Amino acid sequence: MGKSGYIFRDGWRLVSRNLWASILTIFTSVAVFFVIGAGLLLVLNMRHVVATMDDQLTIQVYLQQGADAQPVLKSVAKSRGISGSKIVTKQMALDRLRSRMGAQLDTVSLLGENPLPDSVEFMINEASSVPAIVKKLEAAPGVEEVIYAGKVAEKLTRLSDFISMLSIFLLAVAVCASGIVLFNTVKLSVYAKEEEIKIMLLVGATPTYIALPYVIQGIILGTLGSITSFGLLAAAYALALEKLKEMLPFFQFVGLPVLASRLGFLLFACGMTVSLIASFLAVNKFIRKASKPL
Amino acid sequence: MDIQFNGVTKRYMSGSSAPALENVFLKIKKGEFVYLIGETGSGKSTLLRCITCEVIPTNGYLTVGGMQLRRMNSVALALYRREIGVVFQDFQLLPKLTVFENAAFVLETMGYSSEHIKPRVADVLKQVGLWTHRNMYPNQISGGAQQRLAIARAIVNEPSLIIADEPTGNLDDHTAKQIMELIFDINSRGTTVLMATHNANLVNSYKHRVIEMQQGHVVRDEYNGCYEAASSASASAGQKMEVSANG
Repeated sequence: MGKSGYIFRDGWRLVSRNLWASILTIFTSVAVFFVIGAGLLLVLNMRHVVATMDDQLTIQVYLQQGADAQPVLKSVAKSRGISGSKIVTKQMALDRLRSRMGAQLDTVSLLGENPLPDSVEFMINEASSVPAIVKKLEAAPGVEEVIYAGKVAEKLTRLSDFISMLSIFLLAVAVCASGIVLFNTVKLSVYAKEEEIKIMLLVGATPTYIALPYVIQGIILGTLGSITSFGLLAAAYALALEKLKEMLPFFQFVGLPVLASRLGFLLFACGMTVSLIASFLAVNKFIRKASKPL
Repeated sequence: MDIQFNGVTKRYMSGSSAPALENVFLKIKKGEFVYLIGETGSGKSTLLRCITCEVIPTNGYLTVGGMQLRRMNSVALALYRREIGVVFQDFQLLPKLTVFENAAFVLETMGYSSEHIKPRVADVLKQVGLWTHRNMYPNQISGGAQQRLAIARAIVNEPSLIIADEPTGNLDDHTAKQIMELIFDINSRGTTVLMATHNANLVNSYKHRVIEMQQGHVVRDEYNGCYEAASSASASAGQKMEVSANG
């Protein structure tokens, strides 16, 4: 074993030979990283929902009974912002509804004869062009009603932006909180070993050699905290996801494998970085001061 | 390792407070054994702390091993301190490390491989009679054993200078004798030893150079000196240790 081996071993010793303090710190960091993870989860899901809805930005034109779809198509043939169009017959509309409703199919069956009208669906790739297109469509012959999700998407985007900003703020607070928890843990650990550190300096250990095990201790505790909190979050999310899919079948939430790769990486990186910085700051100042001659 | 104090003065605080050391001139040759005696507050510890660079002189300078000591960066300071073995009255062991790990610590900081460290530490622990205690923690062994461990740690990297601050202060006479014999043995191999002590019996039993300090000044420097010469009132006559003064 060489010098770096001793440093890693000593870092692990600080964790294992102060087991109760280590467990307490891990519990605290689990709580903090759980909050961070929950915030990240909310943001990831909000963005996912908005992105899904952007892809689904369409204008639905419902036709009067027996009306022809061609004049409607012609009325916006030269308009900007339309990426495609599709005539949806009442039967196609019913099939689509059935596939979305799934288990609630019986409710649809209760309606008896298909009540859905023929419609034309316009796929939009430029949200700002929606009002002009809608105006033309409303003036077209045979149009019963024009429905579009532009306002909903706009509101959702604004909500997403707001949640993102709020989340960044909350994340900053949570990261600071976790940093302070780890900073204080390592600081207490260092202060409790004030005499030991002075002895180490006196027998010829460099400040870096003394400090690094404490930094490694901080990284181990912070990383274990973030990994544990990720495990708890993933388990909780897996349970919640099934309920959410039942309750809100029209929304698409982030799936568990995607969550595992994104959230897991974010929490792991966050845990390592925060604990590295916090423990370095805690130990560095103290050791520099202790090593200064009178 | 030679030590030379050239007009060293140390004041801990500015203002009217008396200096802890004042205009100290001293020369200690390589391989010498020197007792440093004097009352509490006479400047013994400050003198030792100047050598270990815990304290920087206010005036004057000292050279150790031909190197003039100044403010050093932390790495240079660590490298310098590895040349000195320090033994404290209160042992100053690392409580969370075993006897073996305590003795090995200095070598680990120096970057030696475990293949080098294991046999060397085993040798030293056998030398101080602690090999059978190697897996115990400091609080599981006696005071005498702890002091022997402190000595083992001080000599494990074969330093050229041993600084001992009251190494027998907390020990009974029998254990003190064992510790002293260990230190004399180290000295006999050419290591310079500078030992601060209040133990008159010890100084009188094992005669060596005696430097006495008073209020920050060197007031006596005597080869083969006694403790009593300058402080006869405090020396307790007739309690001479029954040991052979062969050191």
